[in-house]
Amino acid sequence: MPVSSAFLLAALLLSGCIGGGSGNRVLRVSGSTTLLPVAEKAAQEFMAGNPGVDVSVNGGGSSAGIKAVGEGMADVGMSSRDVKPDDFAQYPGLKVFAVARDGIAVIVNPSNSVSSLTLEQVRGIYNGSYADWGEVGGSGGQIVLVGRDSTSGTREFFTGAVMRGGGYAPAMLEKNSNGGVQQTVSQTPGAIGYVGLGFAGSGVKAVGISANRTVVYPTVAAVLSREYPVSRDLYLVTNGEPDGLESAFIGFLLGPQGQELVGEEGFVPLR
Amino acid sequence: MEGARRGKRNRLLEFLVERALFASALFSAVAVAFIILFLFRESLPIFLGPGLLDFVLGAAWNPVGSPPLFGALPLVAGTALVTLGAMVFAIPLGVATAVFVSELSPKGWKPLLKLCVEILAGVPSVVYGLFGLVVLTDWIRVSFAVPTGESWLAGSVLLGVMSLPTIISVSEDAISSVLREHKEASLSLGATKWQTIWRVVLPSARSGITAAVVLGMGRAIGETMAVMMVTGNAAVIPSPITNVFSPVRTITGTLGIEMGEVAFGSMHYSALFGLAVLLFVIVLVVNSAALFLLRHRQAGAFGAGRGMVSRAKSFLSGNMVLLAGLAVVALAGMSSRALAASLLVAFALLYLLLTRLRRQWTEKIAFGAMGASFLLVACALAVIIYYVFSNGLPAITPEFLSGFPGNSGRAGGILPAIIGTVYLVAGAIAIALPLGVGAAVYLAEYSRGGRIVSVVRAGIDNLNGVPSIVFGLFGFAFLVIFLKLGVSLLAGQLTLALMVLPTIIRTSEEAIKSVPNSFREGSLALGATKWQTVWRVVLPPSVPGILTGVILGMGRAAGETAPIMFTAAVFSQRALPSSELEPVMALPYHIYLLATSVPGAAGNAYGAALVLLVLVLGMYGFTALIRAGFSGRRNW
Amino acid sequence: MEEGGAVIGPENGAGADAEGDAVMRCRGFSLWYGKVQALKGVHFGVRKNKVTALIGPSGCGKSTLIRALNRMNDVIDCVRTEGEIEFLGRNVYGPGVDVTELRTKVGMIFQRPNPFPMSIYENVVYGLRVHGVNDRRVLDEAVERSLKQAALWDEVDCRLHEPALSLSGGQQQRLCVARALAGGPEVLLMDEPTSALDPIATAKIEDLVYHLKRDYTVVIVTHNMQQAARVSDFTGFLYLGELVEFGETEQVFKRPKEALTERYITGSFG
Repeated sequence: MPVSSAFLLAALLLSGCIGGGSGNRVLRVSGSTTLLPVAEKAAQEFMAGNPGVDVSVNGGGSSAGIKAVGEGMADVGMSSRDVKPDDFAQYPGLKVFAVARDGIAVIVNPSNSVSSLTLEQVRGIYNGSYADWGEVGGSGGQIVLVGRDSTSGTREFFTGAVMRGGGYAPAMLEKNSNGGVQQTVSQTPGAIGYVGLGFAGSGVKAVGISANRTVVYPTVAAVLSREYPVSRDLYLVTNGEPDGLESAFIGFLLGPQGQELVGEEGFVPLR
Repeated sequence: MEGARRGKRNRLLEFLVERALFASALFSAVAVAFIILFLFRESLPIFLGPGLLDFVLGAAWNPVGSPPLFGALPLVAGTALVTLGAMVFAIPLGVATAVFVSELSPKGWKPLLKLCVEILAGVPSVVYGLFGLVVLTDWIRVSFAVPTGESWLAGSVLLGVMSLPTIISVSEDAISSVLREHKEASLSLGATKWQTIWRVVLPSARSGITAAVVLGMGRAIGETMAVMMVTGNAAVIPSPITNVFSPVRTITGTLGIEMGEVAFGSMHYSALFGLAVLLFVIVLVVNSAALFLLRHRQAGAFGAGRGMVSRAKSFLSGNMVLLAGLAVVALAGMSSRALAASLLVAFALLYLLLTRLRRQWTEKIAFGAMGASFLLVACALAVIIYYVFSNGLPAITPEFLSGFPGNSGRAGGILPAIIGTVYLVAGAIAIALPLGVGAAVYLAEYSRGGRIVSVVRAGIDNLNGVPSIVFGLFGFAFLVIFLKLGVSLLAGQLTLALMVLPTIIRTSEEAIKSVPNSFREGSLALGATKWQTVWRVVLPPSVPGILTGVILGMGRAAGETAPIMFTAAVFSQRALPSSELEPVMALPYHIYLLATSVPGAAGNAYGAALVLLVLVLGMYGFTALIRAGFSGRRNW
Repeated sequence: MEEGGAVIGPENGAGADAEGDAVMRCRGFSLWYGKVQALKGVHFGVRKNKVTALIGPSGCGKSTLIRALNRMNDVIDCVRTEGEIEFLGRNVYGPGVDVTELRTKVGMIFQRPNPFPMSIYENVVYGLRVHGVNDRRVLDEAVERSLKQAALWDEVDCRLHEPALSLSGGQQQRLCVARALAGGPEVLLMDEPTSALDPIATAKIEDLVYHLKRDYTVVIVTHNMQQAARVSDFTGFLYLGELVEFGETEQVFKRPKEALTERYITGSFG
């Protein structure tokens, strides 16, 4: 018998012997890396308050999270994009709960003299109509476009809210995380990008959006008051109605303690 | 009669052993078949719907446009260009360094130098990615005054460095195995040391060097994480084609950035799997080409083959360097005639120089070049190590090493990730080593050529080219979901084992083949059975080569994020795993998430990277000591 | 008994091996490498406790023939045989023959000394170990006995655990002899054992062969006719795969029956 199956057998037997351990109840949370820091912090506090519970938190992407929940590999999924008809077709029992809001900030390199742009200008930059900073009030130099990958919920939202569904210039650099966009913009003088609020702090300069001669900068307060026009919801997902443990965790995140954590990580509480 | 009973038992044992070894060899082919089937199943809609030609030759990749466009041409071009660029500098640099370490380095330094090279293999791909993003692309931007350094050039340089350890280490093993008597024969005829190396040693080691290059190329083609971070990922074909500063997007980069978020079951999802199938085909073509070159060069050397076709084939493989040079000139000519002309002149001068010079001068220049190659590689190593150390050292405290993470990883420690990584690597090697060595023994000692063996070999070579993220997806769909193992240590170990299997098989096979036949004959003539001969006389001298494969495999298993992302790893959990069926934390995954998704965690990310590096170095040092012990006994 | 010689040549046919003390017998043995026939109907007997030499020009098949005696040709693909080689009453090419057992009883020394990259001690006991003998005392005794029989004991008895590859060429070859003797064979096959050695080492090996025949039967392939004349009791002359002549050494060298033999011996060709 091949060595591999012998090993497999041994391992399975062994794990049957060892496993179980503390006898705690387990809650598996998995999905979007955007929500990851919040979920992890919530998990720590939740476990502190509930010693009989083990919460494990995992990244991998919104889609991986939804699939994991649908297949029963995870209890609660995290998603930074809307749950789509395709997802519902595969797993009809999905239930979606909004737990936070995220503002999308447009960022440029600190050395860039531009400090505000209109939505039309941002659109023009991203669809290639403007290629030089001089054309939008800056001091000249080639514009380097930085965006997210095509499956990103952040980009999807940006496409709808800012691009009005239009196309992007082909030479746009694509990154697959907020951190990646931030890193590139912070080290490239001519770059422009968009990130969640939590990443608009150090190393980059957040650009204000000007409309009707007022400039609104992306802050938590501006998002809460709906003055800042570019923001979206973040979700937790379960398969079917959430049971006791899942419901407790979601409830925790929606409660005052949870929403405070949401704020600490740079997101916007629901209220 | 006593002898007859023993004879019967021997025959039974021999039969069982041969079957078991055959099963090990077949395992790789079976695994590859499974993976291909899985890829096909998931990608079927894209081939049935928009159609094969539109997919492969389509010039625009815009999955979220209206209508969605799934043209793979820019991605294929990106993969080809980045890999080509990487090989252009990694192959000469790698083989030259291997020659240096094996033949020209001072006595006694060899194990240390070899280890230094292998340390490069121990740097996790996410660290390469970070280094590439933060240091390399910025350097390119500033040095060449381009708007951004995220480009084809950055991708090639990074991938080249990542494949160097494989190319160097496996080539070095091959070069060291060339029989002393061949070298002595050459020297005794009055050849210089360099002539001996060029005319006798390198051709003798051809098989091993080809293996090294193929493995290295597989590493480059399949790398996801690092290339995703530095090439810019713009799905364009550089124009002109030689613009190395243009951003590009590779197939693996596409898989890396889009797979995590794509809606399962959608056309986009199928298109991504279609890309994976395409990549498979590319790897198949590359491997076949390497095999072709190897076989026909040998035939050419013995003057076999009379017909036009076989003469053309021998010419092709016998004049590779010349043809490669012409290709470079042609490529340059496409963008600038002046460049092509000056390259032509430079090559001609170089040729004249090398052939007209006195032998002693040629030797000095050649040795100088070898030494310079080694220095370059050592410099690359030093730069990366310095980068990791200087950024990571501030984060190292006793609490960091012994505690659990807090504040989303910005505070606290990484102990569970360290333990998780150790478990994963140990398990992966425990599975892959017996399977790999078994397969290698079968291929080298028992197989008789023929259909099945070619299929097995093709399987192994193709397994080598599978991108790390495809391993992760396959592991997720098959091990986690289908076999119901769940996200678990076991699923991660199996996935990682699959990933390192080809390396171990290839290096073990080369090591076994380099044992002289006279030992086998001597053993058989004393009445030993085939298996006894293999176990007692063939395997012990092969151990150093096998351990090289183990070292390279360990480095990869410890440092890869994509294979464990969906199969074994979690970002945080309360306690250490208590069974094989629980998930684990793992260092590369932890580093990746801290660096990309947790703002303000950069310091700890580098700290974890430093710890991972030291951990891998520890594993290497231990294995290298064992290897040096075995090498000492080889003095034929 | 022995006068007249147990001559079995192609023109004699069977019979004439009335002497029962032929340890191995070839009966009409032919061998093909693929389509090329390397041995054609070879017919002779190897007498017990005698030294039989096989001579002939390069490419005549003498190495092929000696390797056929312990089935070492099996390791080469596309080898086909006809006829029999009888050892201890059985056809070694027959069904159900245990090759590993055969090779213990019919040992082989190669042209180039090929000791394993192990210690001297381990080299000698290798054959015993692969047959499951691991008792230290038995092994120690076998080592001393074999090395003495191979006339190497005095030179290595105080460094048995040093690497075998540290010995000189001649010593290595004698080590290979000791290694083959440790298993207690009946027949020793030697394929040009001294062609890689200097005259003094060669003389030592030839001396060894002379002493070995007291307890063993030896078949030796050599292209050196003087060596064959010095060392052997019987000689077979092969040419292009055929056993042209076989008989007592003195007769073959002084009064060869075949013209071809005489031409070879007088150095007209080969």
